[in-house]
Amino acid sequence: MEIKKITRLSILLSLSIVLSIVESLIPIFNGIIPGLKIGLANIAIMIALYAYGIKEAVFVSIARIFIVGILRTGLFNITFFFSISGAIFSLIAMFIFKKIKIFSIIGVSIIGSIFHTIGQILIAILFVKNANILYYLPVLILFAVPTGLLIGYISKKSLTNFLEKK
Amino acid sequence: MNKNDKLLIVFLVPILLIILLLFKLTSVKSNKVANVYYENQVILTIDLSGEEQDYNVKGYNGNVKIKAGNGKIKVVEETSEKHLCSKQGYIKESYETIVCLPNKIVIKITSNNDLDATL
Repeated sequence: MEIKKITRLSILLSLSIVLSIVESLIPIFNGIIPGLKIGLANIAIMIALYAYGIKEAVFVSIARIFIVGILRTGLFNITFFFSISGAIFSLIAMFIFKKIKIFSIIGVSIIGSIFHTIGQILIAILFVKNANILYYLPVLILFAVPTGLLIGYISKKSLTNFLEKK
Repeated sequence: MNKNDKLLIVFLVPILLIILLLFKLTSVKSNKVANVYYENQVILTIDLSGEEQDYNVKGYNGNVKIKAGNGKIKVVEETSEKHLCSKQGYIKESYETIVCLPNKIVIKITSNNDLDATL
């Protein structure tokens, strides 16, 4: 890996960590619907996915979860497995939909956001061993559409800048 | 944003709204009871038609205090990091669920009529 790429991936990684922390300080969604988040950290992951590829996106995403875990939320607890599961689902979905090229970066971001939700609901069902949580899914997906749209839009704008300086 | 992105939104959002509307329409109106689950076991069934009252159940992290009655139910106190389920407040519809993930507690409203409960 060339030094420039290592540097740029590190910047994306630190960006995603900072965005995770910033997001946890924004209380807008607290208490309305549990589990609802904007997913700001995904901006960095989208940029990694589109500027480099799936390997780099997986690296930034998983490294972020481990580092945020060490710094704030703890490793191998529920929050951690929640993040990992959501990340894996959304990365796989975004990779597939980016490959088949029917959506732009915005559509891929919406898909990622939706699958992130699905991954988290599935881990929640496994954890509490109760499928009643599925009732949450339509509401969460409904909110995943605008948040995915927002993240996709910001990523698109930032990506242009990122690529210009590449 | 290309055409397919817009199509995705235009299809998805109405479908989800219809699902939510169906939830709303099929929501239990009378004889409401709340089932409190620990994992997949019902550990407590509360008749919601009565006056508001406090109940205590044992969750994974310790005691979970529930307030229920007058057709609604909420979690008052539990031990967890983010307190998402006690911040959620009251639920009163059968499509709403309270999930206390760290405590493995799920609260769901159904009808005490067996026929309705299986629907």
